[in-house]
Amino acid sequence: MDWNTIAEVLTSAVRMATPLLFVALAELYSERAGLVNIGLDGIMAFGSLVGFLVCFWTGSPFLGVICGALGGVLVNMVYAFCTVTLAGQQIVYGMALNIFAPALASFIYRVVFGVSSTLAQATLMKTVSIPVLKDIPFLGKLLFDQTPMVYAVYLLVVVTMIYFNRTKSGLNYKAVGEYPKAAETMGINVIRTKYIASIICGFLAGMGGAYLTTCYVNTYSDGIVAGRGFIALAAVIFGRWSGSGVLMACLLFGLFDAMQLRLQVGTDLLPYQLFQMIPYVMTLIALTIFGSKIAGPKSKGKPYYREER
Amino acid sequence: MKKILAIALVLCLAVGMLAGCAKTEAPAAAEKTFKVAMICDSSISDGGWGAACYNGMTAAAESRGWETAYTDAIDQSAYADTMISYCDLGYDMIFAPGNQYSDAVKQVAADYPNVAFAVLNGSIELPTANIMSILPNAQQIGSIAGIIAGLMSKSGVIGFIGGMELDTTKAKLAQFTAAAQVINPDIKVVSAYAGSFSDTAKGMELAASMINEGADVFFGDASAVDSGARQAIDQANGDTVKIYDIGQPADILGQNPCIVSSVVTDNARMIAICLEKVETGSFGNEVVFGSLENGAVFLGKFNDELMSADLQAQVAEYIKQLQDGTFGK
Repeated sequence: MDWNTIAEVLTSAVRMATPLLFVALAELYSERAGLVNIGLDGIMAFGSLVGFLVCFWTGSPFLGVICGALGGVLVNMVYAFCTVTLAGQQIVYGMALNIFAPALASFIYRVVFGVSSTLAQATLMKTVSIPVLKDIPFLGKLLFDQTPMVYAVYLLVVVTMIYFNRTKSGLNYKAVGEYPKAAETMGINVIRTKYIASIICGFLAGMGGAYLTTCYVNTYSDGIVAGRGFIALAAVIFGRWSGSGVLMACLLFGLFDAMQLRLQVGTDLLPYQLFQMIPYVMTLIALTIFGSKIAGPKSKGKPYYREER
Repeated sequence: MKKILAIALVLCLAVGMLAGCAKTEAPAAAEKTFKVAMICDSSISDGGWGAACYNGMTAAAESRGWETAYTDAIDQSAYADTMISYCDLGYDMIFAPGNQYSDAVKQVAADYPNVAFAVLNGSIELPTANIMSILPNAQQIGSIAGIIAGLMSKSGVIGFIGGMELDTTKAKLAQFTAAAQVINPDIKVVSAYAGSFSDTAKGMELAASMINEGADVFFGDASAVDSGARQAIDQANGDTVKIYDIGQPADILGQNPCIVSSVVTDNARMIAICLEKVETGSFGNEVVFGSLENGAVFLGKFNDELMSADLQAQVAEYIKQLQDGTFGK
């Protein structure tokens, strides 16, 4: 393995980790307000379609990403209404999103493009390199020659860390996920916070989906999300519900996934399935080593009834 | 009030059922319209395998006046259930476009002896009284791609991306390698599997890593994953095309700048043979082969800008040898 290969693996790892990171942050905001949303895959699928369509029609990937994010919000409002206002089971409605949203996306795609063997291709977001910094050997290309979306997501990690640990509003937000009744008595509007959490979650997850079709590949196909929503879900648990932890988890998963692809290309002695297991096995091992003392927000998964004692 | 409503609803349902019964009996007297249904794990609008198979089925059905239906983007767990639903709906033939459906087909076909099942890329041992295999010659498909790759490669490294390790995919890879090595004995083949037919981004990453290994001609057997690979090739190429891709199973020349040619499988022709056999009642216990010889497998159009007339003539010559059985001898 020479430096060139290592640099290429790392670049690929960053590329593969970015959509995961968007979606893992989405889940982080949701779970911090006590809402476990396993419908991320569905939100992503819808976001990726809306992002692709807007990008295809207008030729603007930026507009595509924004619209994809708004599409994600729209889908997640179904979940928010059912779990917050109607106090329904979060797992059930999350699963419902996973079934409903990809099917809706597939339906819309077919209405727009019909069934043809020609592939609709849209423009991709251009990379924006940061002058001077990009010329740093090795790290320059890795960190400072990416699409604006990549910079945005890392900025978001920093913002998230500061928000949850250093601001009053962030502590209030976390209180809603820990002990909503106490939060309510302190004058925090629990229902409003949960809705805000759902909007943020839908926005970021939709954006993660749109990233796939506007910055990564230039086509949409059913199943393009390929379970990334569930990996992001695991990344939040693995990352201990903190911004930095989620960042590490996503990068680690991206790295192992990039490595397994390289290893497959490099050798044909072992069955390829062994390599494909690597990211998942490493995640399992990491989880066992680091243990799970911190169980996350106390009230997550539980519906909140304002007037119940 | 509620009770009256409930009774009214029950009556409605009962009447509906009666009407339903009446309907199913009626068309038996009229001329029978045959119906064929297709199941598919990828999407039928994936611009690759799914689309080619769906278009093949509809073209064949149209030529023989059949009705069609499809269910796509289904998981492995739903293969059997979906087919059972179509059997119960009275479909005459189920078209399963891939070897991965073989087990589910065997299971369902045993319970529905009056329904015909056609499995594309099904094995030679698969056919029974109501199952037929449609078998395009995977060896020839792989060989044709290998010939083109062997002639086009300047770096001496060529890449193959598979979706899953199916028998036909393995055969294509083996012949792709063998044929390329006949042309250039020192050629190296790098191969990998995406583990999926729909994860476009994986295809991109795989192709990117193969390009890093020096691969300059690509062939794939993985539907939407191939689209991702082609995108990675286009990105690596920039303005001048020096890394190439060979398409399949439809003629997709022009879809991406990097495509030099396609190895085309004429599914419609082979499916039409099955439909005809259902109509005449002679369906079953048979494999419909598709090959260069009967025209169901052929080479698509060349990209004249990427491939000189001289090279094109060489490819044609080698394919002729392939047909004669003298290739590589």
